[in-house]
Amino acid sequence: MRKFLLLVLTMAPLLAYSQGFQVNLEGQKQIGMGHTGTGIVQDGASVFFNPGAMAMLPENYIQGGISPLLFKSVFNPAGTSIQNHTSNKVATPFQAYAVWGPKSSFWKLGVGVYTPFGGLTDWGNTWQGKYVLESLNLKAIYIQPTLSVKLADWMSIGGGFVYNHGSVDLTRAIPLANSNGDPGQARLKGSGKGYGWNAGVYFKTEAGITVGITHRSQVNTTIPAGDAIFTVPASLQSSFPQPNTFRSTIPLPATNSIGFGFYPGSKWIVALDVNLVNWDSYKTLSFDYNTNTAVLQDTHSARNYQQAYSLRGGAQYKANDKLALRFGGGYASTAVLDGYVTPEAPDANRVYGTLGLGYTVAKHLDIDISFEYEHLMQRTQTNFESQLSGSFKTDVYIPGISLAYHW
Amino acid sequence: MKTFKLHIYIIAGLLLLGACKPEIHTPKPSAGSVDFSRYIALGNSLTAGYADGGLYLAGQQVSYPSIIGKQMQSVGGGTFSQPLFSTAQANGSGYLSLTGFNADGTPITTPVTTNLAVRGVLPVPGFGNVTLYTKYTGDINNYGVPGIKLLHITYAPYGNLNGYFERLLPGNAPTNSTTYLDFVMSKPFTFFSNWLGNNDALGYATSGGAGDVLTDKSTFAALYNVLINTLTAKGQKGVVATVPDVTSIPYFNTVTVGAILAGVQKANPNAKALYINALVSGSTYAPRAATTNDLIILTFPTSKIGQPVATPVGNLPYGLTPYTPIDNQYVLDENEVALTEDYVTSYNTTIKSVAASKGLAVFDAYTFLQNIKQNGLVVNGVSVNSNYISGGLFSLDGVHLTPRGYAIVANEFIKAINDKYNSSIPQVNISDYNGVKFP
Repeated sequence: MRKFLLLVLTMAPLLAYSQGFQVNLEGQKQIGMGHTGTGIVQDGASVFFNPGAMAMLPENYIQGGISPLLFKSVFNPAGTSIQNHTSNKVATPFQAYAVWGPKSSFWKLGVGVYTPFGGLTDWGNTWQGKYVLESLNLKAIYIQPTLSVKLADWMSIGGGFVYNHGSVDLTRAIPLANSNGDPGQARLKGSGKGYGWNAGVYFKTEAGITVGITHRSQVNTTIPAGDAIFTVPASLQSSFPQPNTFRSTIPLPATNSIGFGFYPGSKWIVALDVNLVNWDSYKTLSFDYNTNTAVLQDTHSARNYQQAYSLRGGAQYKANDKLALRFGGGYASTAVLDGYVTPEAPDANRVYGTLGLGYTVAKHLDIDISFEYEHLMQRTQTNFESQLSGSFKTDVYIPGISLAYHW
Repeated sequence: MKTFKLHIYIIAGLLLLGACKPEIHTPKPSAGSVDFSRYIALGNSLTAGYADGGLYLAGQQVSYPSIIGKQMQSVGGGTFSQPLFSTAQANGSGYLSLTGFNADGTPITTPVTTNLAVRGVLPVPGFGNVTLYTKYTGDINNYGVPGIKLLHITYAPYGNLNGYFERLLPGNAPTNSTTYLDFVMSKPFTFFSNWLGNNDALGYATSGGAGDVLTDKSTFAALYNVLINTLTAKGQKGVVATVPDVTSIPYFNTVTVGAILAGVQKANPNAKALYINALVSGSTYAPRAATTNDLIILTFPTSKIGQPVATPVGNLPYGLTPYTPIDNQYVLDENEVALTEDYVTSYNTTIKSVAASKGLAVFDAYTFLQNIKQNGLVVNGVSVNSNYISGGLFSLDGVHLTPRGYAIVANEFIKAINDKYNSSIPQVNISDYNGVKFP
């Protein structure tokens, strides 16, 4: 029975975290250090953080990790003392990397599988905003083969191709009551794909500071024919023809990063990252139905996201040969303008803090654990489109663990 | 086994995290400057929770006073009792239920006639038949009486003429002599809401200006003063609502001259106009061609159109010639509309000035419903408007509200009270209340 429970927990879907739908959980060592990693070389996670730094890795890596994530939002409708909570669902962002190159050669090949975007919010079917959203489960799994080349002892570059498998599962209530007074429901469920790339450069300066600059491209992900399932009173079913499909495209935004590494003593690494996320590409969320009726029209909801930035900092202290202690934190600005905040991703400016611990359990084997706490500032909003009015506030708790084998 | 234990720890840890929920600090609900301990509601069918052409238990349970009363309990309000029908007689007076749609999209409604609370029918000489309902004997906070006008509140025999009022009184018709106002005042209260006055105009309008009369403006003013003076005699606070523009309801805007004519022209392209018997002035009526400014009532049997009617010049089609106009009772013509609006405006001037002189809160239902008619309203992602059935606001009778409509109104009352008295009665979750029920 407990085993079954565990299965349910780990099978439970994905996440919602950091600006909009961006999920910043791409390596346990890096999470421990405030999710920095653009300007330093730590492990195989460089595939994501900076493909340009990959060739600088002293060893080959195979690693995998998971960050079970609890996204806990509350909504207080304006003029009430009601507190609507999202249900406890555990999202499971994961990250896996392999990096290989001949010993002391000038190149390395790598592949990464990670989850840079997603959202898992379940507000239930009785809350104030049920006609806006009941639940959303959005996943993006990026698969990225990568090549990195060392141009000189002090400089390397790299780039990768990104294939994205995206999926969405969204439900909302329809304000058409059946004879029992229960509302109808719309469910949009489907998957699709998108392509993009990732490139970076990494160099060591004479001052002993390392620097990384990367660009991760926009990945337009299209769901060409998802299922559009409408449950409505029988007398209205002809207005909501079944079966039906929908088409939708989400532009997962480009991210520009610059990162620095400082080495104040042999035991310390201090890292700083700045990210600029081009969320301004996300203008509209559209659902284009294959079969339209007078009642069932295509929808085009303005999102009008804006560019967002984040500042990250972290440090690692190598206590001894086997043990590394890490901590960090950061600030991320919201991508969502006032009036556009929706329960899909009740975004706001946010601060976060992280702790991490790395331990070499055997000669080639690292185990890394991290913990992140993130707080989204309370935000009081009336959405232009839905007129849903009230305050959102969110806390995110993310423990994480990974194993890395290196040789 | 070891990993199994580890899993248990991980799960326990996650559950622990799951227990810390974010909370948003909200100010403690406050009664402001008001004692809400006994709230009573005065009004007509809208106050009683009338819907779908009848008063029945499910409608009573979502009446706006019951919603307000419940929300008041967090600011010191007491129990809010309503004269509910019993579960066995839950269908009360009977009501309309939507049972399907015709091929042309028009709704099919069917009367619900089981489990009624009808006790009998009393013929009253010179008045007509009065349907009597099973008596209610418990405590009452909701004094909403379907059909009552402001004109009736001091009329002693009224308890014998209105079955909905009669069922609240201890005595049986035709022996009652307690006025509505005396009955309401028989038990002390601390706060009141009053939404009387609609029927003083609505009765005239829904009968196409044929079966009822508008309450005289100065009579309305005099009675409204008596009412509010009585209600506030011991310093009680309250909220009053204005009379909505009766022509903004679907009852007058669903079956239109244009739609009927288009239907006629499908069969007979030569038909040029519908004819109605329209008000000229005073009580003079004359036939003329209908325009879009003439309002046809929702219950007009459109099948009458074109039926042969015997006239001195032979059989002529109903509604299509000046000799066979649509009967007055089915049409609120342009002049009748203007007359009604003039009276409603006057009533509302009275209501607002009396309320101002007593420092009462005002819910301006006239402006609010006018706004919805013109612009619609979006609440929590739900779009509502004044359209029949699809609008979600008005019930199947086209006059009274759906549960969603009553919840919206309840929140408007609450906002008006909070604004006036610096209280913070929490608003209700409108998403919990449905519109028209579909089969």
